[in-house]
Amino acid sequence: RCPQTERAASTNSELFTLTYGALVTQLCKDYENDEEVNKQLDKMGYNIGVRLIEDFLARSSVGRCHDFRETADVIAKVAFKMYLGITPSVTNWSPAGDEFSLILESNPLVDFVELPDNHSNLVYSSLLCGVLRGALEMVQMAVDVRFAQDTLRGDNVTEIRMKFIKRIEENLPAGDE
Amino acid sequence: MNCPLYIRSVPTQGELKFHYTVHTSLDVVEEKISGVGKALADQRELYLGLLYPTEDYKVYGYVTNSKVKFVIVVDSSNTSLRDNEIRSMFRKLHNSFTDVMCNPFYNPGDPIQSKAFDSIVSTMMVQAC
Repeated sequence: RCPQTERAASTNSELFTLTYGALVTQLCKDYENDEEVNKQLDKMGYNIGVRLIEDFLARSSVGRCHDFRETADVIAKVAFKMYLGITPSVTNWSPAGDEFSLILESNPLVDFVELPDNHSNLVYSSLLCGVLRGALEMVQMAVDVRFAQDTLRGDNVTEIRMKFIKRIEENLPAGDE
Repeated sequence: MNCPLYIRSVPTQGELKFHYTVHTSLDVVEEKISGVGKALADQRELYLGLLYPTEDYKVYGYVTNSKVKFVIVVDSSNTSLRDNEIRSMFRKLHNSFTDVMCNPFYNPGDPIQSKAFDSIVSTMMVQAC
């Protein structure tokens, strides 16, 4: 068995949290513009997502989802649990069934983080939007993902809003952004 | 490098004289930690206890193994605050301080402006008075 799978399944999450924090603050220093940092985080997330999906499908053995509701459940109960150790709840379905919210009570990316006043437009966890978008694109789903609420910016909960845009044709190659 | 990262007092007037008390107490802290020697070198934290009594105040000290110093000044008339309560206050302060250090937006050495840290300190001060 290869070394990665022999390592303990759970490791201390503080190194992960601090690494992400270092990444975000470095981007803030490099770009000096919150909107641009959000974009860069989303792009990085996308590049992670298009790769992570393979690992996810191999480790979880979930089959193809029959509808968007199933997709939502798999994301919340399997994917988030597997990679971040949390299980957000799925709520606020649109009447057409093409849009829903993930409500996160806690988020390991933001442990210990307090946004300074001069970064009020920073969407700190933007990486997650990109990851979800990239991962779903590899299973032929084009989605729009954004943060509707953010505890770092004063809201009571963190809410990710996901909207199904369309099915992607299989023969279009997905490249890095 | 002994500039304070955080000073808070209740009531807030007369804060300046606390700056002075705390500053002079640092000399006592330095004395204590340099005189400690091997006996206490294994301890991860150094609760220094009562540093020195003055007429009006009791001053307690605590230093981490990263040389961060915490000082608590209590009115002499407060006799209900026991040693283990002071220890527990220092532990809470140390934990909160660690959380502040983990905020990626905090630069070590800057004054502490964390709301979370403020609220821990407020709660502690309310409980102690």
